[in-house]
Amino acid sequence: MVALAVILSDLLFGIMLGCVFAVVAHGLNLIWGVVKVVNIAHGEFIMLGAYGAYFLNVFGGFNPLLSAVVDGALGIFVGYAFYFSFLHRELRGKERITLRSEMVTLVSTFGLSLFMSNLAVVAFTGDFVGINWSPGTVALGFLELPLGALYVTILAVLIISTSVVFLDRTYIGNAIKAYSQDITATQLVGANPTKVASLATALGFSITMAGGALLTVWIPTGINPYMGALYAPISFVIVVLGGPGKMLGSLLGGLTLGVVIDVLQAFVPVSLAYAVAFLLLIPVLLFRPEGIVK
Amino acid sequence: MRIAGLGVTFFGLLALMLLLLILPFAFPFSTSVILINLLFYTALAYSINFITGMTGYVSFGHVVFLGIGAYALGASADVYGLDPVLGVLLGAALGLVFALMIGLVTLRFRGVYFAISTVVIALAALNIVLELPQLGGSQGIILNLGFQPYSWYYTIWGIVLFEMLITYYINRGKLGLGIRAIKSDEDAARSVGVNVSALKLYLFGLSGLFAGAGGAVFAWTTSGVFPYETFSLNFSLQMLAMIIIGGVGTALGPILGAVVVYLPSYYFLTVAIGTQLIIIGFAVVVIALFIPEGIVGTLKRRSASLRELLE
Amino acid sequence: MLKRRVGITTKTTAIIVAAIILVVAGGTSAYYLTLPTKPPPGGTVKVGFSISLTGSFNVEGTASLNGMKTATQWLNSNGGIIVNGKSYNITLDYTDDASQTSNIVPLYTKLVQQDNAQFLLAPYSSGLTAAAAPIAEQFGTIMLSHGGSADSIWKQGYKNVFEVLSPASTYLRVAIDWLKANHPSDKLAVIYAGDSFSTTAALAAINYSKAQGFQVVYQSSYPTTVNDVTPQLTAAKSAGADDLLGGGHFNDGLLLAKQLAQVGWTPKFISLLVAVTEPTFQQQLGTAANLVTGPSQWEHTVAYTSDQAKSLGLDWFGPTVAQFTQLYQQVSGGKTPTYHSGEAAGTIFVLARAIQSANSFDTTSVKQVLSSLNFMSFFGQFQVDQTGKQTAHSMVLVQWQNGVLKVVYPTTVAETQPQYPYGA
Repeated sequence: MVALAVILSDLLFGIMLGCVFAVVAHGLNLIWGVVKVVNIAHGEFIMLGAYGAYFLNVFGGFNPLLSAVVDGALGIFVGYAFYFSFLHRELRGKERITLRSEMVTLVSTFGLSLFMSNLAVVAFTGDFVGINWSPGTVALGFLELPLGALYVTILAVLIISTSVVFLDRTYIGNAIKAYSQDITATQLVGANPTKVASLATALGFSITMAGGALLTVWIPTGINPYMGALYAPISFVIVVLGGPGKMLGSLLGGLTLGVVIDVLQAFVPVSLAYAVAFLLLIPVLLFRPEGIVK
Repeated sequence: MRIAGLGVTFFGLLALMLLLLILPFAFPFSTSVILINLLFYTALAYSINFITGMTGYVSFGHVVFLGIGAYALGASADVYGLDPVLGVLLGAALGLVFALMIGLVTLRFRGVYFAISTVVIALAALNIVLELPQLGGSQGIILNLGFQPYSWYYTIWGIVLFEMLITYYINRGKLGLGIRAIKSDEDAARSVGVNVSALKLYLFGLSGLFAGAGGAVFAWTTSGVFPYETFSLNFSLQMLAMIIIGGVGTALGPILGAVVVYLPSYYFLTVAIGTQLIIIGFAVVVIALFIPEGIVGTLKRRSASLRELLE
Repeated sequence: MLKRRVGITTKTTAIIVAAIILVVAGGTSAYYLTLPTKPPPGGTVKVGFSISLTGSFNVEGTASLNGMKTATQWLNSNGGIIVNGKSYNITLDYTDDASQTSNIVPLYTKLVQQDNAQFLLAPYSSGLTAAAAPIAEQFGTIMLSHGGSADSIWKQGYKNVFEVLSPASTYLRVAIDWLKANHPSDKLAVIYAGDSFSTTAALAAINYSKAQGFQVVYQSSYPTTVNDVTPQLTAAKSAGADDLLGGGHFNDGLLLAKQLAQVGWTPKFISLLVAVTEPTFQQQLGTAANLVTGPSQWEHTVAYTSDQAKSLGLDWFGPTVAQFTQLYQQVSGGKTPTYHSGEAAGTIFVLARAIQSANSFDTTSVKQVLSSLNFMSFFGQFQVDQTGKQTAHSMVLVQWQNGVLKVVYPTTVAETQPQYPYGA
């Protein structure tokens, strides 16, 4: 039998991994749940956040946590730009998003992802880079938990819970929530749908780029122009698992994925663990499309 | 002159294929092999056209069928010494079978969910193949089937010909009406009696069959199968870009898209290195936002006379 | 129903647009399909190849190309290749292949048929090399492999393909050989990336080590895009492994080394593919990198010398290691040569040496020479078996010692001894 120590260690690291996956997916969750569009280029904005953190580190000595804040601020502008170039035309004046609009955004963001990742190769070169940041470790039994990953875990949970509180307790948050349920009703309570949708998009991108910065702690030299191709599918699976629009769903989906991937590796070869983790999407879509938890 | 049911497009494509038929005899190998690649990408474009072009179900993970076909030929040639042409047929058959199995599950999901599930399946397939030593595992399979430009050429030519004919037939016939109904409003189509599930499955099966055949040819011409290269999402992206640019759902769109996307790539390999995909990405964005029917579709929409000429 | 009268202008415009598209497409194709074939000017020998300047292998490909350019420059300014008393310069005829297998067949067919390349170099990576091999075979042109090390390429029966670098299966042998001589009772864990090259190297290492009497207590592969290898490391530690072998490429090699501390495992000996030879490995890890070893096809600090060649009864051909490194820095704009640079440059010297020995450009004569050639260059020894697979070139083991990467094994080319155990 596989040693308990191994499973416990896998569980712990799986949880931490899951949390960083969760925060990386959270921006997608917000936009998907509110504006009901899926950004295929999601991975490329994560990449942008990661490179942002890298350059902030190289030129300013910023550590990833600090960079996450800067990236988050930048993300707001990026989000507004994205909304008005890609989404505004499709959403303006509509009561519900049509299938056609869904397809248009799907395809246009697909083109955007091709454009961004390959432009990044030209701009940043294909070299893999990384940030050298090791604040040390903290002992837990026989394990040495890396503080960097621990901070990221805490921040991830913080960001996600803040968004829950924000949507529930603030006026703007409520407006966003209303928009996600019924666009027309939003107008009736005096909120401008475009302002609401664009703000939600901006917030989503802000979180995405901050997530990209936080991700760099886990990938010592994994920052490269094509990294989006890995984190986008992971994000999609997480959002579906947790339920699009359910803020805490990001955590749920992320933790599920992270734990499944890491713990399964104690029993099956790694690639099969990943295959299983990805395929989890299918039964969830078949039987619980609103997410694992009702 | 118009024969009932067959328009200019049909004869135009036929003429093109006849021309392509005799080209290998008139030009040196270095030309034929470029055309083989062009025909390969055309075959992929037509295959994804069946599902994404005609029904609007975006199959981001379509490369999985290419991979299945490639491994079908690779494994059968390596282990059983199977003749590559039979390997192509095997690839087509397996592509069809897997497409039907996968489609039974995933075609129930609409829009975005279908798209994501195809990605997930392609990634899972990659990871599973990595752990199968019978298929070479992560080391892949290296083949020595030789340099066979004529066999390669006529095999892929035949595949593209079939695809063109079937595309044309589907668009023109009763099936075409049902399919266009699905694309504009699936629920309405179902309510007027179109057997939506069967149609979608039929098209998805076709797309898997031809992608599998194309994938087998790919393994044959590149003398090997390697999991990361063969299941690369890049293939899906290129396939999609080709039909989006060319014109989704049409009979001309895929070949036009393949020509526009593929032929200039040699220019990009020597002059503007690395910029091809940037330009294609940009083109896809512009087309999706402003002329979503692609070149052929938009020409048809804007001009009544062209509507009859182009299909 | 209203019938619209379509103006002549719309139709005409459409036809003009269509015609333009066709002309552009046709023109582009015609240009590339029928490029005028330039006969090699007298006094030069044309070496053709494709190289990955973009795509997944762009880093390795660029380093390889710089190596080839350096070798070419050295040869051309040191008398060129002498055949029948006349001096010939090498010209490199190459294009980017974007790391895509589908580009290889058209590019290599063009190189042979239209560009009249007299000799071919393979592309970078085993997959692309395998795709190019049938063309070299079909057109009877010699192709030298500098970046494709998969053993199965030489099981296909090709007569025209020759390997300059060490086969993938031999990569970790140096580490195992040293362990066998010094710590034969160590238990091994092999954790490796799930890509073709790393898997071949790792699986061969597992077989080789077992044949040497080692116990492999844990083995596992992981996807190349992994974020977290703690499950593997924990399992290896739990299985009682003393040493860690494997890795794959830079990112995961670094990850392995970093996460060792996190799971509380200090192996006595670590040998990782690829990652260890990068300067940034040490920069990123700091003290954790100290005493980590790795195999390498070649390092610019390796001690191959003409005296050594003489003592082995071999000829020496080409520049010294130092001369090559210096010239490389000029050619590449200040960079230090990596093993990709070394193996690619080595290939040019092998070709030059073979042509000179054959005193002819005729394929049959040069092939005959290559099959029996046994000499040494700055890259190391060259000798192939009857399938064309490299048998004499040996990997070297390098180790970080106090912030400096040193060649530690085999003893004949080492600067110093390996230190053991790790973490001391």
